[in-house]
Amino acid sequence: MIFPMNLTKEFELEPGESVLREARKHWLLFAMELLPYAIIAIIPLVLPRLLLLAPPLAPYAGAIDYREPLARAALGVWWLATWTAAWGAYTRYYLNVWVVTNKRIVAVTQHGYFDRQVSSVLLNRVQDVTTAVAGVLPSLLHIGNISVQSAGAVDEFHMNGIGEPESMRDLILAEVGADSKNPVI
Amino acid sequence: MPTEPLQPFAPPSGFPLHLAISTGALVGWILAAVFLFWALYTLVAIYHWIRYSHAARVAYPAIAVHLGVSFGIALYALSGALLP
Repeated sequence: MIFPMNLTKEFELEPGESVLREARKHWLLFAMELLPYAIIAIIPLVLPRLLLLAPPLAPYAGAIDYREPLARAALGVWWLATWTAAWGAYTRYYLNVWVVTNKRIVAVTQHGYFDRQVSSVLLNRVQDVTTAVAGVLPSLLHIGNISVQSAGAVDEFHMNGIGEPESMRDLILAEVGADSKNPVI
Repeated sequence: MPTEPLQPFAPPSGFPLHLAISTGALVGWILAAVFLFWALYTLVAIYHWIRYSHAARVAYPAIAVHLGVSFGIALYALSGALLP
């Protein structure tokens, strides 16, 4: 194991605390984020045909032959860079998460590598939970935004593009109600 | 002030022509730089995957897929026998 075990905890659960749900951006939105990488990946394959469409550049179309070692290496470097960037996008997608426990909401925002923000709000500080679903496709697929307003220093928590935001809102409100019935003495 | 006309530039005699960079060497250096960048980026990403426990469920499969695909692409890139 390269990393010591005590580094593998993002946040410690308190005694009696349990994770109820984790939520990330909807997979379809992430798939749409991957579309540019797919287009970038196939550009070298269609480049010879694209050059044929532009008469001044047409003579260069025949010069691109991926059976040649140099062209093959260039294509490999192109694909390696594209793949690594896409995998980095998936990494950032996965590390952005909302965790709802029976005591609090934790919002983990990974802006980039080494740029991470972890905020939490206790359920007994929650004042309002708002969901918004706008557009035809989001309505059909139940993709929306959720905002939690709290009485703390961080006024509002936002998570955009999650699936089933109403279900998440109901869960939070139910836990807020349960938490208020069991005040900490 | 010198009154002689300017002489056209000429490379010094005895210039070590064997130091001139060949295309093969240049390609080799570029590939090495790309690999170094890839390795650093991958290490940073792997650190983030392993660092956070909530990601542990898919961390190792994601890392394995990344390494597998990357090595596949690298093998393809080098399959043209660019390097000895």
